[in-house]
Amino acid sequence: MKQTADVIIIGGGVVGCAAAYYMAKQGIRDVVVLEADKSIGHGGSSRNGGGVRQSGRDVRELPYAMYAVQNMWPTLSEELGIDVEYYQKGNLRLGKTEAHLEKLNKLASNARALGLDMEVVDGKTVREICPYLSEEIIGAGWCPTDGHANPMLTTLAYYKRSVEMGVRFFTDAQVVELQKIKGKLRRVLLKSGECFEAETVVVAAGYESRYITRTVGIDIPMTRYFEEALVTEMQPHMFDIMLGTADADFYGHQSKHGSFVFGSESGLEEATDMKPTELRTNSLTVSAGCRAIMGYIPLLADAKIVRTWGGWLDDCFDGVPVISRVDEVPGLIIACGFTGHGFGTAPSVGLMLAQMAAGEETVVDISALRYDRFKSMR
Amino acid sequence: MIDIQEKLKEIGPYVPAPDDDMLLCRCEEVTKGEIRQAVHAGMVTIEEIRRYLRCGMGLCQGQTCGKLVKSVVARELGVSPVEIEPAVSRAPMRPIEMRILAEDGGERS
Amino acid sequence: MTERYDLLVVGAGPAGLSAAIEVAKNGLHPVVFDENARPGGQLFKQIHKFFGSKEHKAKIRGYRIGEELLKEAEEYGVKVVLNATVIGLYQEKELTVRIGDEVKHVKGDSILVATGASENMMTFPGWTLPGVIGAGAAQTMMNLHHIKAGNRVLMLGTGNVGLVVSFQLLQAGCEVVALADAAPRIGGYGVHAAKVARCGVPFYLSHTIVAAEGEECVTGVTIAEVGPDWKVKPGTEKHFDVDTICLAVGLSPMSQLLKQAGCEMKDTPGGYVPVCDALGAASVPGIFVAGDVSGIEEASSAMIEGRISGAAISHYLGYLSKDQLEQKITELETALGSLRKGMFAPENRGKLITRTEENIEVSMNLLEKGFVAEEEIERYPGVKHMVGIHPVMECTQNIPCNPCQDACSKGCISIGDNITSLPVVQTDQKCIGCGMCVASCSGQAIFLVEEESEPGFGTVTMPYEFFPLPQAGDHGKALGRDGKVVCDAEVVSVRTAKAFDHTNLLTIKVPSDMTMKARFYKCAAQ
Repeated sequence: MKQTADVIIIGGGVVGCAAAYYMAKQGIRDVVVLEADKSIGHGGSSRNGGGVRQSGRDVRELPYAMYAVQNMWPTLSEELGIDVEYYQKGNLRLGKTEAHLEKLNKLASNARALGLDMEVVDGKTVREICPYLSEEIIGAGWCPTDGHANPMLTTLAYYKRSVEMGVRFFTDAQVVELQKIKGKLRRVLLKSGECFEAETVVVAAGYESRYITRTVGIDIPMTRYFEEALVTEMQPHMFDIMLGTADADFYGHQSKHGSFVFGSESGLEEATDMKPTELRTNSLTVSAGCRAIMGYIPLLADAKIVRTWGGWLDDCFDGVPVISRVDEVPGLIIACGFTGHGFGTAPSVGLMLAQMAAGEETVVDISALRYDRFKSMR
Repeated sequence: MIDIQEKLKEIGPYVPAPDDDMLLCRCEEVTKGEIRQAVHAGMVTIEEIRRYLRCGMGLCQGQTCGKLVKSVVARELGVSPVEIEPAVSRAPMRPIEMRILAEDGGERS
Repeated sequence: MTERYDLLVVGAGPAGLSAAIEVAKNGLHPVVFDENARPGGQLFKQIHKFFGSKEHKAKIRGYRIGEELLKEAEEYGVKVVLNATVIGLYQEKELTVRIGDEVKHVKGDSILVATGASENMMTFPGWTLPGVIGAGAAQTMMNLHHIKAGNRVLMLGTGNVGLVVSFQLLQAGCEVVALADAAPRIGGYGVHAAKVARCGVPFYLSHTIVAAEGEECVTGVTIAEVGPDWKVKPGTEKHFDVDTICLAVGLSPMSQLLKQAGCEMKDTPGGYVPVCDALGAASVPGIFVAGDVSGIEEASSAMIEGRISGAAISHYLGYLSKDQLEQKITELETALGSLRKGMFAPENRGKLITRTEENIEVSMNLLEKGFVAEEEIERYPGVKHMVGIHPVMECTQNIPCNPCQDACSKGCISIGDNITSLPVVQTDQKCIGCGMCVASCSGQAIFLVEEESEPGFGTVTMPYEFFPLPQAGDHGKALGRDGKVVCDAEVVSVRTAKAFDHTNLLTIKVPSDMTMKARFYKCAAQ
């Protein structure tokens, strides 16, 4: 069986779904999305902490992170017809030691140099912004234009709207190979034997993108990294800001629903030998996470944890993604390696992928994210 | 491989039913009608429905409604409930206070 | 440091305790965790006598079996940790257990998951009103916490849980207004149904709940007949004023831990269960299962399954040789096999069986109304007219149970080697009226009848488990199998004895022609 489309997107995560939506919106008529899992958003898209953040970003991704925050997130719920629970109430990156403050000061001055409104505030100001935080906190990086949203709803909202606009989604459709015909990318082969054909193929399949693009001779230097998260039972409304720490021991926010969603680590993650298909949590992580969280938000000590989960990040070698056309494989567009902070930029990345598929200029320059930027280190 | 557009065509449009306002998931207050509509919006797996509506994500962790939701989804898709993959199973098996989880003999280095 | 044991058992119910005892016998060191304050799982709320044969602890009440298991566990040094909630099952057979205000990491060379099952719910308008509860919850309230579950109760579901709990509600002094079931026939044992029916509780088969009524809590319920398409037939609605609706609509295995551990699972109409071999080994090496978590059955089979898994674990860890294991398994599987025989065997679930193993027609009245009709009762080999006092055994279905045979030292009752055979009255043997058979019958289906004890009158001796106990000389009404008054009755005697284990033997005097009809007694005041 052969199916043809104008554009094939490999990966039904938030990037793939956003790209599909903006393509359909732009008038690309026949868009196909192939998702390997049975569920849309099965990967990191539904497993992340929901940060919509500009602060702490690399200079190469800040422009489109800011573009999304300024031009897309505020109206996204309205545009998609589903409340994606976006809150733009700022991000506090908390510090308890002088070393932390030093780190935060550096981060803030870098950000300001790039035009981002980030400053370092003292402990007192921190508790004015969020009175629930520990007295031990002596300062924080503060970016008032950062925020958070619900990643599961955002992914599914893009999906639902795309379905309504005629995008053809296929789930349980694992891609194993790309094939060129007469020097141009054309065919997408599935594990089940089906074949799809299109002029343009976007690979937005997280770490698995690596296996897929390799079949046409392109390797993106990525590792994969397992991170865990937890969620509490519903709590009375406390705050709408996004939290992180200079120590990077947890991050998270209170959701619209009232539950607190936090990402956390045991510190042993790098040693995992799990297969990519495995999503097992570690017996130590949730406890380590609770200790970290209580150290900053003591009031949550009695909040009950109802669930923990984990997910894979596609950690790009230099910490920023590859969002790029591929010169030697005409028709191929790669969007992967988001390194655990792709959710907040998904709208602008989706938009830019649609622009690339249509042969247009992207809204911001992303030439620094080319696939061929990786050079030997020595 | 599941063709979502085909599947949605196959099951036809959402038709309101008199008992659509009946609660199915008590913890998160999700109604039967919301679940039925979600299926027609393309949420055809329990995983998607949970993420879309939060049913089964509350304090009882789906102990009460898991089976009920599954049967509604199955009926909407015209398959047997046995064919609908249940939700994943996640620790902790019972809701536990953070301060208790924190006391696991571990220490921050 | 992480604690380590040979075997970690999750759940101190019948399956978990039996497995722990079995491995301890073989020299292993097990530990059993249970989230409840008391061990025994559901056993301690089972106040009725169990079915089966001696090896299955038949005619012993569930809570006593629980006590026996605990005693045995203690004898073999099994460590049982209570108020210990297992919250995760991780790689390398590690459990995280919440004990008090901390979480412990415990590892085992093997793990047995015996977490049992939870009650199913069903939806209808008003199902979330306070007053709609699970039948098992009602049982817990009454039998463990001594709280009356309600005053006027409708029970939905006629499986054994629905029937047994209905009887216990009556015992607790609740009024059971009706038993309803969407199925066209009663799902549980006929003897359980019969003892509820003769108390006057009506059965509504092919009926389901249309709605629970009430603003703040349940004040009423409407049921209606369903057709073969399971849709309600308009105009068949019946309303009852009730404050409680009990749902006995099945159980679901609590298999989440196994799924978390990455065990291969399968979805079946009976629930989501781990894929396991005949000895309870799940797909992850070293993880075993037993009891309801691997498929819903009775506590009796859970105990044997636990012992089978215990033997398999002992072998897995090198404490039993292959030969020893095989010998043990053969013995246990025979015991398990006999419990899975008869009309209610797993393979017969949902099937209509019209004839008994003896080729006697099954009472349709029993299946549809809860009692054997007068014109049907004399078909069965336990029911005979005889001169003098004699047992009448209204046991009409092939179920694995035989204590009555051993109860009679005079040889009046025979079942034979086939545990599911119907009991036969031996007309050539002389009954002395000791009543042991009456008290031994877990189904309360045996009566002693003397058709003519004095001119024109006879006596009926029945099992009686209600308070207050009537007294000799009391006058009241005799009720038939259908719970309707058949005649006046006078209490001749009330016998209680240790050997009867809380089953009182109530003897009433009724006109001779009523001795084969009178099956329950209601005192005049009620």
